[in-house]
Amino acid sequence: MRHALLHATGITATLVYAGAIVWVYATQPRTFQDVTQGARVAAGAYKVDSARYDTALSLFHRGAFRAARGEWERADPARADARTQFYIAYAFYREGWGRLYHDDALYGQGLQAVDRALALTPAGSLIVDDPDLKMHTAAELKAELEKGRERSWGDLNPMRVLEERK
Amino acid sequence: MRDDAARRRTASRVILLPLVFLTVALLGGMRVTPDRAFVFLPPPLITLVMAALLASLFLRGRLVRLDAWLGSRHGVLVNVSHALTLIALFFASAQAFNSVLPEQGLLHWMFAFFFLWTLWNDQFSAFDPRRLLRSLGVLFGTAFVLKHMIMAGLSAPGGSWTRRLAGMVFEGLSLGTLDVPAVAPATGYISFFTLALYVIGLALVAPTPDEPGEVRLLLHEASRLGPTERRALREALEEERS
Repeated sequence: MRHALLHATGITATLVYAGAIVWVYATQPRTFQDVTQGARVAAGAYKVDSARYDTALSLFHRGAFRAARGEWERADPARADARTQFYIAYAFYREGWGRLYHDDALYGQGLQAVDRALALTPAGSLIVDDPDLKMHTAAELKAELEKGRERSWGDLNPMRVLEERK
Repeated sequence: MRDDAARRRTASRVILLPLVFLTVALLGGMRVTPDRAFVFLPPPLITLVMAALLASLFLRGRLVRLDAWLGSRHGVLVNVSHALTLIALFFASAQAFNSVLPEQGLLHWMFAFFFLWTLWNDQFSAFDPRRLLRSLGVLFGTAFVLKHMIMAGLSAPGGSWTRRLAGMVFEGLSLGTLDVPAVAPATGYISFFTLALYVIGLALVAPTPDEPGEVRLLLHEASRLGPTERRALREALEEERS
């Protein structure tokens, strides 16, 4: 067969390039930075900024939830780390939790973050072993956020003020 | 030497050509918003229909001779490689249309109708590859000027009062159905580059992929001969063969 190597190279290059184009259209990167970040995630070379992550964790434990979320967003700009997304969702939950009412907008954003965390762990449930938390799995957190957004007669129960934040 | 030329031709056909067409497919749907963010628009269904009509035109105009590109006389590898090139050509055509087709509103349908009407009429015209290329150049060029120069100019924010007045009159005449989305000027440049690349890619497509370039030149020269000269040429060839 004449020029078999050229044909094989052409086929490989075409398939790889076509795959990259499909990926670009599927992920819709908005900047060149998004493209490089997405490529790093796809290649498995993406890493969360551990220094920022630790700073965010200490802020979270001190109750500075908004600041913690900001740091976590900067530590995981591609939103590709399940653990970070779990903590972001948890920060939304804690900030949105109230003894008399819950903040629906914050709970909604928390749900989006926990959905991202669940999507990033297709193999199994995400378990975070942190003694400061009362919910250790993404599934528990999601259920709690969903429950907080539901409207029911139970919302009028005065005993509700005795519920504790998890 | 002859082998080197054949290798270069094969490399251009199986590596360069698909990459050119895939680049067109990538850039054809790319827009840049005024805040400099990218948006990638997949080909709308109507552009796939247009690409199918254009593919039929390529076959009728003999820009692509399918029996020479695909068939049992080639090996599996060659057939796969050629099929990928033709698929890339199809998607490049769809995205080239996408690049010059307004995204929404009345203009989208007006342009779509204009393209479909032209492509449908062309199905019944006699074409040779050169004429087809010229016709496509004019078709895409006209649509480019209308969308990226005239429409973009009228809908751009700011500018002189005459331009804003013309934009308002145009919008009023269309009963507010124009709905041209705001894009950065870079979109026009990307579209221009995309269309140029598409036309270059089409010019690189050989009707019969394994035919040496010199044969095509000879055939082109022969097509310009008069009846007497043709007869003399035929006699000379038969004489040489005998």
